[in-house]
Amino acid sequence: MTSPTSVIEINQLVRRYGRTDAVNGLDLQGEPGRCYGFFGRNGAGKTTTIKCLLNLLRPTGGEVSVFGMNPARNEVAVKSRLAYVPDYVAFYPWMTVRDTLDYFASFRARWNRDTERALIDQFRLAPAQKTSHLSKGQRTQVALVAAVCAEPDLLVLDEPTSGLDPIVRREFIQTVIGAYQDADPGQRTVFVSTHLISEFEGLIDEFTIIENGRNVLTLSADVARERYRKIHARFAVEPDRLEFGGARVLRQRGREIELVVNGNADDVMNRLRAGALESVTTESLSLEEIFVATLQPGGAVA
Amino acid sequence: MTSSGPTVILSYDRWVTDVRFQLNFKSGKPVYLQLVDQVKSAAASGAVQPGDPLPSIRPLAEELRVNRNTVAKAYAELENQRVIETIAGKGCFVRASSSPFRKDVRLKLVAETMDDAVVQAHHLQVGKAEFVRLAEERFDAFEDKRARAVHE
Repeated sequence: MTSPTSVIEINQLVRRYGRTDAVNGLDLQGEPGRCYGFFGRNGAGKTTTIKCLLNLLRPTGGEVSVFGMNPARNEVAVKSRLAYVPDYVAFYPWMTVRDTLDYFASFRARWNRDTERALIDQFRLAPAQKTSHLSKGQRTQVALVAAVCAEPDLLVLDEPTSGLDPIVRREFIQTVIGAYQDADPGQRTVFVSTHLISEFEGLIDEFTIIENGRNVLTLSADVARERYRKIHARFAVEPDRLEFGGARVLRQRGREIELVVNGNADDVMNRLRAGALESVTTESLSLEEIFVATLQPGGAVA
Repeated sequence: MTSSGPTVILSYDRWVTDVRFQLNFKSGKPVYLQLVDQVKSAAASGAVQPGDPLPSIRPLAEELRVNRNTVAKAYAELENQRVIETIAGKGCFVRASSSPFRKDVRLKLVAETMDDAVVQAHHLQVGKAEFVRLAEERFDAFEDKRARAVHE
């Protein structure tokens, strides 16, 4: 399984807090230049996994490697090539924005001054402002500037846009696409955990859904949207009895039925046509709807 | 709520008025192919002419909020299909349409696309006569649109 080109490789990761298994046998892989979504409910084990990647936590079991290296044994080598924007960003309150960026830059082999200038402008940040006076959105922007200017091969984002206003969220994503990704697209890898799945929809090449510390679904976004479809059908007369192996009926009332299929749209369509079908429409599920469908009580759509 | 993605009108000559990239994550069609098809239909309808530049990858990706790789993949596919060409240091441009394929190959390619439409018609209970009438109507509409675009 181990591919020498993997940026992220997680094999059977286990991390316990006391008797609680936060992560319990997680597998995950990420190739360079791609963007990975990491979706899970609160407490599913996302942040714990990310902290293991960053060597902020030691795994209880299993293996984690970043750029083919163990992040605990090669901490500097790994960290010099990645940047991390957490959900809650804390800076030294007495430093200004300028001080803070210089401070970050002092740890970095590379620092792109042009990108820094462009982003400070674009975000309308005041370099002389104390970080203690920044809003949550501005703190996230400073953290993003610090992450992008270091030109890392891997950008790790943990719930980066939660609690931000829509304009800041939009700018954030555009910066990841533009300033970060564009410079060296073949190498620039993004790993983002988020609840705001719809906003990142266009960015995600592949995603993993985790629940109870295990991966329940890993798929490329295009394949997922092709497989998961919602079918809405109306019959001329109310059908007696409908059997749909493998499809989940979302609702059925009188002559109308709405169901979700996973890769078996043709089969379900054939079953529907056995009745007096009046009209039928299908659409793909968005990644967010796939997330919900996968984790709803009753389990994944077979 | 309809679920289409962002619509973007770009400030590039003809792209301003005539090409609106519109992504729909619910269409089931891969996002890069949606871009491919939109450029192809703009080129086919005459909305963009040979020699017109395509937007560069970064601003288009930023505007649409899609992965840069998605746009790059669409452009690579368009180049592969000889719809556009890349001129080093200048960007991508619409090519004059000249299919490199022999006639029988071209017919086969069109037939494959039509097969999809036939299947769809079958699912939606549209009969042969109606289908043929619709095909003529669509073809006429296309030629009308193209003639208007060329004369402008």
